[in-house]
Amino acid sequence: MEQTKTIIDYTHRQAGHCESGATSNLFKFNGLDISEPMAFGIGNGLYFSYIPFLKIQFAPMISFRNLPNTVFKRSTDYLGIEATVVKNIKDPAEAMRMLDRNLEKGLPTGCQVGVFQLTFFPPEYRMHYNMHNLVVYGKEGNNYWVSDTVMEHPQQISYDDLLRVRYAKGAFAPQGKMYWINRRIEGNIDLKPAIIKGIQKTVYEMIGIPFPLIGVKGLRWMARDIKKWPKKHGNDKAAFYLGQILRMAEDFGTGGAGFRYIYGAFLKEAGELFSDHTELLEAADMMGKTANKWREFTYMGARNCKNRSKPEEDYGTLSEKLLEIAAEEEKVYKKLKNIRFQ
Amino acid sequence: MDENQNPVYSDKRHGQYRELSYSYNEGGEYNKTVGFHGEADRVILQQAWDLFNDRIEEARQKVLAGKVSPVVYYMEKNLLDPMNLSMMAGISLWRVKWHFRPNVFKRLRESTLAKYAAAFNITIDQLKNIG
Repeated sequence: MEQTKTIIDYTHRQAGHCESGATSNLFKFNGLDISEPMAFGIGNGLYFSYIPFLKIQFAPMISFRNLPNTVFKRSTDYLGIEATVVKNIKDPAEAMRMLDRNLEKGLPTGCQVGVFQLTFFPPEYRMHYNMHNLVVYGKEGNNYWVSDTVMEHPQQISYDDLLRVRYAKGAFAPQGKMYWINRRIEGNIDLKPAIIKGIQKTVYEMIGIPFPLIGVKGLRWMARDIKKWPKKHGNDKAAFYLGQILRMAEDFGTGGAGFRYIYGAFLKEAGELFSDHTELLEAADMMGKTANKWREFTYMGARNCKNRSKPEEDYGTLSEKLLEIAAEEEKVYKKLKNIRFQ
Repeated sequence: MDENQNPVYSDKRHGQYRELSYSYNEGGEYNKTVGFHGEADRVILQQAWDLFNDRIEEARQKVLAGKVSPVVYYMEKNLLDPMNLSMMAGISLWRVKWHFRPNVFKRLRESTLAKYAAAFNITIDQLKNIG
């Protein structure tokens, strides 16, 4: 029997963050040139939450990015692009058939997957993490062609292996979620209204939500907790929890800093788009400097993980650094909040 | 960050892929570079793997000594805790913990073993014999 082959002329580009990378590549495929930072910013990728009583991989649940699919959904919404998201597909075989039908129609399709059993993924990152995204753009016999923006090059994965990761279990289980842009984007799309909406929503999530574990409040809460960890949990556990913050902030090589670099790059692009908007460009600079502070925090934290000699002192310093970072981030969001866009 | 020195990782398969990272220099430029992740990143990842590997080895020893059932070993090997294993296997939490007992495990039905095997992505034979 002849091997069936359906490969869409989709351009794979490596990116810093899987969802904004996938979203950006999908937009570009459909004729709208949107960079990864722009997709991330419009789609409210930036976030923070700290849920100490929920444990993932033996440590508190910490998130530097929004829920999976937020970036795609919100960026398509705010830009007025028609897109489809299908959630909770009960039958895995049906989910794969839907994917195949999309490929035959020439629609590259985003899938949420878990990375633990993702065959081609760098092994050091294969822990239980279900918020990963990739785009399927071809099928050759029993294998699919996949664009996973964490990787430098496109990858192949078998039917069984793809089904398995689309139905990975645990927290934030993908349950076959798939998404795509309905058709080629025609005409000029004005990014400005979408940028404004995106910024306002992110500002709300970081300083507007009256819940203590989210946004800047969450950062401060975590900063205060860090100091208590050695006494409360012992040095070993404290070091592991600290490592968890750092692993979440890194999230597969975003340049560390929990996506703050990507957001700063977005603000810079936005500032240039708004005819060199002073405040946006200033905010971009502030965010860049804050991201650098996050990077310092990561280095300090990693040193602490490596040699746990004087934990109380180190955790105290780390706590102070995190409070500094929280204060700086708050300044950025307040600045963005006060911008009156014409 | 271009040369791949792999001294931090104990697993040779780690640190083999180049990543894209953003950065910001004081001149006000955002940059993208592709390269191997640096020492700090390796340290924090190795920390996680050290913990997992310690737990896996400890579980393996306990199984071989007849103290716990192979379910515990495979649970650790798959980086799970009882709650997540319960969700994955579709077996209630108290029953999962009950199955940690070697004498209980020995009397489990094929259908139950099959659920664990599916959750761990192994055969029933592998489940029974960790070797």
